[in-house]
Amino acid sequence: MTSSTTDAPRQDVDPGPGATTGSGPLGVVKRAFGMESTSVLVATVALILVIGAIHPDFLDPRQLRDVLQQSVYVAVLAAGVAFLLAMREIDLSVGATFGLTLICSAMLMRDGWSPWVAVIAGILLGALLGLANALIVQVFRIPAIVATLATLSMFRGLSLALSEGQQVVGLPLDHAFFEFFGGRLFGIPVSVLVLVVVGIVLTFVLRTTPFGYRVRSIGSNPDAAAFSGISIARVRIQALMLMGGLAGLAGMLGLAYFGSGDPNIGSGFELLAIAAAVIGGTALRGGSATVVGAMLGAVLLSVVTSGLVYFDIPVNWSSFATGAVILIAVGIDSLLRRRREARAAAAGL
Amino acid sequence: MLALEAQHVRKTYGGVTALADAGLRVRPGTVHALLGENGAGKSTLVKIITGAVRPDAGVLRLEGSDVSFSDTADAARHGVAVVSQELSLFPDLDVLSNMFPMREPKRGPFVNRRRMAELARPILDQLGLRVSLRDRVGELSLAQRQLLEVAKALVTDPRVLILDEPTSALDSSTAEVLLDILRVLRDRQVAVVFVSHILEEVMALCDEVTVLRDGRTVVDAAPLAGLTIPKIVESMLGERHADLTEVRPRATVDLSGAVAAPRGSGVLRVEGVSVDDRLSDVSVTAAPGEVVGLAGVAGAGHQTVLELAAGLRRPTAGTVFLPDGSPAPKGLRAAIGRGVALVTGDRRRLGLMLDKPIWDNAGQVRSVALARDGLLVRKRALRERAGEHASRVNLRTSSLEKSAGLLSGGNQQKVVLMKWLQTQPSVLLLDDPTRGVDIGAKAEMHGLVRSVADAGAVVLMCSTDLDELATLCDRVYVLHHGRVCAELSGETLRQHEILAAMNTGTVPAA
Repeated sequence: MTSSTTDAPRQDVDPGPGATTGSGPLGVVKRAFGMESTSVLVATVALILVIGAIHPDFLDPRQLRDVLQQSVYVAVLAAGVAFLLAMREIDLSVGATFGLTLICSAMLMRDGWSPWVAVIAGILLGALLGLANALIVQVFRIPAIVATLATLSMFRGLSLALSEGQQVVGLPLDHAFFEFFGGRLFGIPVSVLVLVVVGIVLTFVLRTTPFGYRVRSIGSNPDAAAFSGISIARVRIQALMLMGGLAGLAGMLGLAYFGSGDPNIGSGFELLAIAAAVIGGTALRGGSATVVGAMLGAVLLSVVTSGLVYFDIPVNWSSFATGAVILIAVGIDSLLRRRREARAAAAGL
Repeated sequence: MLALEAQHVRKTYGGVTALADAGLRVRPGTVHALLGENGAGKSTLVKIITGAVRPDAGVLRLEGSDVSFSDTADAARHGVAVVSQELSLFPDLDVLSNMFPMREPKRGPFVNRRRMAELARPILDQLGLRVSLRDRVGELSLAQRQLLEVAKALVTDPRVLILDEPTSALDSSTAEVLLDILRVLRDRQVAVVFVSHILEEVMALCDEVTVLRDGRTVVDAAPLAGLTIPKIVESMLGERHADLTEVRPRATVDLSGAVAAPRGSGVLRVEGVSVDDRLSDVSVTAAPGEVVGLAGVAGAGHQTVLELAAGLRRPTAGTVFLPDGSPAPKGLRAAIGRGVALVTGDRRRLGLMLDKPIWDNAGQVRSVALARDGLLVRKRALRERAGEHASRVNLRTSSLEKSAGLLSGGNQQKVVLMKWLQTQPSVLLLDDPTRGVDIGAKAEMHGLVRSVADAGAVVLMCSTDLDELATLCDRVYVLHHGRVCAELSGETLRQHEILAAMNTGTVPAA
């Protein structure tokens, strides 16, 4: 980034404005897509090409569009999970939050609410569920992983109880909400466009707001953060509410696309979202995160699951194969990263 | 015959001499005090005796025969046991499991709890530790845990037992407990080495005294009967310190504008403050431009005064007034918002994000925690401001992109100072700010602290380094058992007086 980073250590460098480069619009683009998320992007493209070389059908733009479309929900969740991992927290209830907001909004629409109002209510509900998680962590002094393990069941249970285990159908599918967010713009699914906007906004939040810096500060060294006057409790509430709101947003995108509410939708998404964030380059030890990487990680997972369909893998083996591919992807990435870091450390940075 | 004998021990660490010519002779059945100032070489000598460090030269004898330990386990096999400063117990395990870490008696592949109990019970009884073997260690009191540490050492049936500053919290009952332990140890003909800087304890407990100064033994196994605290203090500090007060650090850089102009009186006042079990009726003032020191043995309450000013603790009586004239707020966050800065010696744990670049660390308080730059944190602005402060405090680094963890101790502490100077503090609280930094970096840090004071901030400092207190501070309050027992300044502000007051509660007549 900085010109002096590769130089041999100099004594007493004048750390003036010369030490600040890598900004400007080009630098921003480079930073957003470069560095941490390049390897997952390369892996995704390589995997697509490999599958495409064996089964050219896979390279059909419609097929690739579907792959993207399917990845949107986990990708939005993964972006939130990246924030939480960066501050050494985790939320296992994201899949259930996704499902519950989707069901609730679907029921409100079925009961005659304006879809727009129901959608806003769904996103707010997500944020409230996140707040509930944060308050449980705060009041009972238990780790978020335990608290959200419990709320995972509770939220999922609520989806089933409210819908009485039935699909929620009879929604006003001809309403502008379903037409627009379930449709395409310039041939690209609108939900994918929303994902891109979310990615840009969250990258901006993570890299240029005090909140984003606080999140990474806490993950880097919680004690030092507290001693610098950062309230860990407050940042945790904000981050978990952001996570819930994103889960709500993902739920609304899902509702627009599916046009009905399945009380079991989103089961297992929490693990996919965590896997996506980690594949994308967000370290579990905290202190750093990449939103774009997490989203690309979700795309990679989607490529894996869709791609496996093209191979004659017995249906009962597909879970195993998915897991194996994830393991290989994460394993290679981790080894490469370690080598890069070792080289950087040797260079004294 | 001597139980333990060390002769002409030398040890240098990369050019720095820790031990020049140290010796120690301990007779069985005696309690032997090993004394010395910070950096005199006590801990190095202990490490050599316990096998943690190998000496460059010198002889070590146990009961007359030469030994050379390859590691601590080797020393333990030879009958050298340590009860260290930091308690090394497992809080979630029970008493019995804690007494046999890694060396439980076995019956086949299984741990033989019955045999363990047979071995442990008599020792616990002898020490008067009345706990069940099944009690979880985390539920024991601090005093009980200290006794358990001793019991754990005694299970190995040591010939030499080193108590390395065993009494961190000095309440009245601890000394009695210690006396009991030492009586047991004398009866068992164990040679006890008691490492401490709390001279009162030494006077009460020990039989013989060895004093180290600058890596040399200056008092060699002198019987306690002929010694007094002033005599011991004299030998710990030596002659060379008599006129050192002349070398006072001066401000090295101009930091005007880096601290807030005081509103109100500008004076930090601690008025008649009490905190349960820690402080009673303590009053301290510190004016802008002054460096005020707080001294005391561990647990004397001097650090509690810092905690009060930082909002980390609330007084049960009395009030702490910040320089703007209003009472100190509740909580560190609020205090920071009001212009308090806190630099601790534990910079790696409490001061820095080691994996983050310098500029990121430097902006952590002002731009991130306090969000004084508004809703956006601009990397370019952070780098520029960090660069500005880096040149002001004379930070030596090849680049501001360097991770804080890769800097030397002195430079790390400068980064911590940088991050606080960005907030333009009106109060700078220092807790042992030069712990573990080399002499050159220490002198530089002292110059910076003086500069901060000259720029108009109130500086309040705790330190375990008497030299630092005596030379850097304008005034030093000495605390003893939670009370201010002396206020030293000018002619009386010397290491000798500080050390004596810390230990006796009174200033010796000049």
